[in-house]
Amino acid sequence: MRTATIVLVAYLMCVAVAALWRLVPWIADAIPDLGALTAAYLGLTARRQVSPAIGGAIVLGYLIDLISGAPPGLIALVLGLTTLVARAVQQRILVRGAVISVAFSAFVALIAGVLAYLVRELYRVPVAPFAVELRHVAGVTVATAVVGPLVWRVFRRIEAAFARTHREREAALEGIAP
Amino acid sequence: MTLRRRLVDWSLTAALIILPALVLRASLARGTPSALDEALLRLTAPLETGISWVVEGIAGTWSRYVALVDVEAENRELREDNERLRKQLAAMARRAYDTAALEDLAAVKKRTPADTLGARVIGAPLSPQFRVVRLRIDRGGREVAADMPVITSEGPVGRIEKAYGDYADVVLISDPASHIDVVIRDPAQAAGQAGGARGILKGLGRPDSYACTIEWLERQGGPATQSRVKVGDEVVTSGLGASFPAGLVVGKVTRVGGDDGMFQSVEVKPTVDVSRVRAVMVLLAPPPPPDPDAKTRRRSEAAFGARPL
Repeated sequence: MRTATIVLVAYLMCVAVAALWRLVPWIADAIPDLGALTAAYLGLTARRQVSPAIGGAIVLGYLIDLISGAPPGLIALVLGLTTLVARAVQQRILVRGAVISVAFSAFVALIAGVLAYLVRELYRVPVAPFAVELRHVAGVTVATAVVGPLVWRVFRRIEAAFARTHREREAALEGIAP
Repeated sequence: MTLRRRLVDWSLTAALIILPALVLRASLARGTPSALDEALLRLTAPLETGISWVVEGIAGTWSRYVALVDVEAENRELREDNERLRKQLAAMARRAYDTAALEDLAAVKKRTPADTLGARVIGAPLSPQFRVVRLRIDRGGREVAADMPVITSEGPVGRIEKAYGDYADVVLISDPASHIDVVIRDPAQAAGQAGGARGILKGLGRPDSYACTIEWLERQGGPATQSRVKVGDEVVTSGLGASFPAGLVVGKVTRVGGDDGMFQSVEVKPTVDVSRVRAVMVLLAPPPPPDPDAKTRRRSEAAFGARPL
């Protein structure tokens, strides 16, 4: 239920960002990658089993594929892989505090951008010239780094709402993975 | 977590990763949205529309009502720019008009066989009906004299009435005081030649038009070839009177009046629109009379010096 709620909220945020970013065309390239942030959050906060987080990320990716006009499965696959990367990171470092959150958001956006490029190359989906792709990834990375902590704060609130104990709730609000 | 549960979890994870890869391959191969895609799009479309409506509504409200802080200053700047650009445009248009008038004058000077002097119109008193009744030019008594003809590329304008200081007044051909010797151009003759009925063009002095009249216009030819002047006939200067050169188009006949068998009376509309004249040419001296022997005269032999054998 928690994962489903996070996916739904993330999906609504993606739609809102898509509507909002059309109104600010001068920063069109710097769209925050909310899908990657959500996938990373799901990977970071995955409890004992990782499959629900992967499932949530893939469902969100599929929905983003549909609203963005990408070939269905492309972003789903990228977000699934991003969740795995975040899960691997979670087992080694503790993502906590504003600076680490910003840095990890940027890292996640970069990883998602690179994965998306590789998947498109692998499946022979047309790509832009490398310089354009690089500029796009850079813009997305910066934008994602800026909004990352805010998005995760929202997700922590959701996490806290689904907490079963007071300790779990405090841990969720603190940003400590269970 | 037991090993078995861990295996199941990782197997499920692998299956979930493979699933979008397969979906991607299938969608790329198919090229069109699947039934599931279409169903989901149909399901989520209202939600997207609603969110877009809310976001765009908020953004629209912001841009229309809130983000108007600098609009007043911007508006003032734009007004000032607009004023400045309008002035520039007017100056440019005036300059272009003057240039065109000067080019016309240069062309007139080239084809006029007389000494001429260009002049700029600096004033034009108007009648109550906004008709120009006089022209004032920027040439004074040291350069021009009374009765000198004034022309433009379109035709005669009038004569110098008086010159004083650095200025001179021009009496227009539409003034009753103006008299020009004219002929009706015979349509049968080549353009530029004037050989029709002759008369004196006088201004009617109407406050609401520049109309002129030719009084005592003689009938053309002998009794056998008598023909009336028609509306639309061209009136040109005759070259007589030693003022205007011959062949300048003065205007067109607009009305034919009384015909007593010997003389006709017609009304003429001048070709020159005096209200638009900005530069004129003053004829300083009458053109030299044509030399009838120009083509037949032979050089006399030299009285002294060597002669060819």
